[in-house]
Amino acid sequence: MIAVTGLTKARGGVTALADVDLEVRPGEVTAIVGPSGSGKSTLLRCVNGLETFDAGSVCIAGHQLAPGPQPPRLLERVRRDAGMVFQQFNLFANLSAVDNVALAPRVVAGMATEEARRRAIGLLDRVGLASFAAARPGTLSGGQQQRVAIARALAMEPKVILFDEPTSALDPAMSEEVLEVIVDLARGGQTMVVVTHDHALARRTATQVVELIAGRITRLGPPAAVLAG
Amino acid sequence: MRDMRKSGTISPVAFLATVALTFAAVQTRAAELDEVRARGMLVWAADQEGGGPHVFPDADAPGQLTGFEVELAGMIAAELGVKARFQQGQWDRLPLLLGRSVDCVINGIELLPERKRDYRCSRPYYAYALQLVARRDGPIDDLEKLGAPGPGGRWRVGALTGSAAEALLRSRHDLEVDVIGYDGTIDSLEQVQSGVIDAALMDDCIFNFYADRFAELRAAGRPFGGGYYTVLTAHDTPRLAVAIDEAIGRIVADGRLKTLYDRWDLAGRQQVLALRDAAEIPAADRRSFARLAAEAMPMLLASAGMTVLLACLAFPLAVVVGLGIALGRLHGPPALQPLLAAYVEVVRGTPLMLQLYAIFFLLPKVGLALPALVAAIAGLALNYSAYESEIYRAGLKAVPTGQLEAALALGMTKWQALRHVIVPQAVRLVMPPVTNDFIAMFKDTSVCSAITVIELTKRYSVLALSTGRIVELAVVTALLYLAMSWPLSILSRRFESRQERAA
Ligand SMILES: Nc1ncnc2c1ncn2[C@@H]1O[C@H](COP(=O)(O)OP(=O)(O)OP(=O)(O)O)[C@@H](O)[C@H]1O
Ligand SMILES: [Mg+2]
Repeated sequence: MIAVTGLTKARGGVTALADVDLEVRPGEVTAIVGPSGSGKSTLLRCVNGLETFDAGSVCIAGHQLAPGPQPPRLLERVRRDAGMVFQQFNLFANLSAVDNVALAPRVVAGMATEEARRRAIGLLDRVGLASFAAARPGTLSGGQQQRVAIARALAMEPKVILFDEPTSALDPAMSEEVLEVIVDLARGGQTMVVVTHDHALARRTATQVVELIAGRITRLGPPAAVLAG
Repeated sequence: MRDMRKSGTISPVAFLATVALTFAAVQTRAAELDEVRARGMLVWAADQEGGGPHVFPDADAPGQLTGFEVELAGMIAAELGVKARFQQGQWDRLPLLLGRSVDCVINGIELLPERKRDYRCSRPYYAYALQLVARRDGPIDDLEKLGAPGPGGRWRVGALTGSAAEALLRSRHDLEVDVIGYDGTIDSLEQVQSGVIDAALMDDCIFNFYADRFAELRAAGRPFGGGYYTVLTAHDTPRLAVAIDEAIGRIVADGRLKTLYDRWDLAGRQQVLALRDAAEIPAADRRSFARLAAEAMPMLLASAGMTVLLACLAFPLAVVVGLGIALGRLHGPPALQPLLAAYVEVVRGTPLMLQLYAIFFLLPKVGLALPALVAAIAGLALNYSAYESEIYRAGLKAVPTGQLEAALALGMTKWQALRHVIVPQAVRLVMPPVTNDFIAMFKDTSVCSAITVIELTKRYSVLALSTGRIVELAVVTALLYLAMSWPLSILSRRFESRQERAA
């Protein structure tokens, strides 16, 4: 599903990623852990083309990304197949919860408004927020916002979902709500890459764990092995 | 971020204060004869803009004025035993300068009953007739031609705002004519030549003077009607008025005026004979304010309607263009960005008045003759688009980058992300400053009077000057402005409080 080879990126003289190799097979959940500033977000953002890289290659869902700027058309196709969930949720502030979820199916996939809406309500129901369809993002709690964000990513039926610290901005109770949704997705066989500081999250969802330090992969293996120390 | 020239609301207090300052002249006492003598100087006012043969810049001596009235002013001052000093003013507002450091107005001011009511008028010093001017290749060869509609409907005829020519055109309901008021006679001739209007009516001596410069124009029919020019002084300087009147009498009697007019090709002997036989003109009655208000109100309301129309058509245009520019500068092709930046700088760096002039008077020279209303809307929209683009640019930048990334991460194109996510948020963010500018535009519409569009301020000015009810009409006008800006202010405050609640 994802094959990263020799991925290298420098940022203002600092090496953000150095010769990273990573493979994510369909149905697998990969957790990326590591200290702050080690390049976890950068790696994730290179995978869906939100950032460019200097060397190496990324193959994702059959699309091939090369170093340097990539054509917009290619990036749009990559991103339809690779959903993303952000630490700060980034829900569209001008839209209600249901419109947040329905927007991309409508404008990107060209789905009819009614159908997109029905699908959006179904997805909100799946993350336990059917009754909040009309709510504005600003009126929702952090945990609720993040669950809407997950529903939004799911709406495009992506082949893989990239999570960048989905629970770091949440208190324990809200983290748990979000964690349950991710666990549920993992059970359903959704391919995912989850950057996280939360070892509990990694243990409960991941099939493989990658430890990144200073832009290099230092350890890679099953959760029990990598997270033991 | 915002330009400080615009303030939030059209304050009626500010309007009244401006009026009070402008017209304080009428209330303060003007300098009497003994003061004029003591300072050794007679200050006379005229408008040198397109002012031949009366008062105009001397082509041979830049910075110097010439014209038959310049010489006449010199003679009158000499009769009073003082020197003459010129003061520039806008023609239709010259009388307002009386008492504000100006002692008299000598500038083709027609002797009319209304003028006699509001000012002191000297005996006539020049007899004028009215001349219709049209294109040589056009159908108008006589005033009577204007009695039936032209191929394009009603004829469009220009005249100097506040002049007897304008008043005559407006009073001739038998003519199929839309009267367009200009701030300068030359402007109207330019526009006849470029085809924007069909004809212009003016004092015969003016066309005689400029005829060579406008070779494509001709006198349409013989001069007709007309009257006399008079020297205006303020009501409260009776002795100065008498001294000037007697000075003119001496200048006529001893033949100096005839010599002067002959030198200026103004038929000196005919003039002197006409002046000798001039009939006395009675002063007009002062109408009750109730009657005046009843008459003036429909006109003021119609002009307020014009103000609303200008702002309501121009502002949405400005907003759309401004948003487009802002998007182009932030997200458009790199080659376009410096061009848009230059557009904004040029438009912000030049006065609205100049832009309107360029659109109205210069575009016809390259074959694009826009009607005044269209030119006014285009000018206002152009000017404000630059300011709105800066507001929108700031608004677009204020939307967190996470919003764009989230949209892109769903596979949207940049334009889809802008259209569905970024722009709606930016538009709401800048609602208060944009509403504020909308209110500001209501005030700026008054500049459009320079290109013959009569909106509220211009109408007020014309009415106030022709009736002498300067203060009373100012109050009415201020209330009309308040009626326009009040709802917008409420709207703007509502946007602001909604945003505070959302934040
Ligand atoms: N916008 C940026 N400009 C320049 N350098 C950056 C930028 N963002 C991150 N970096 C640098 O790139 C490196 C990797 O950053 P990255 O955000 O990928 O780390 P991270 O592992 O996600 O950290 P965190 O756990 O704090 O999110 C760091 O050295 C960081 O300082
Ligand atoms: Mg990070």
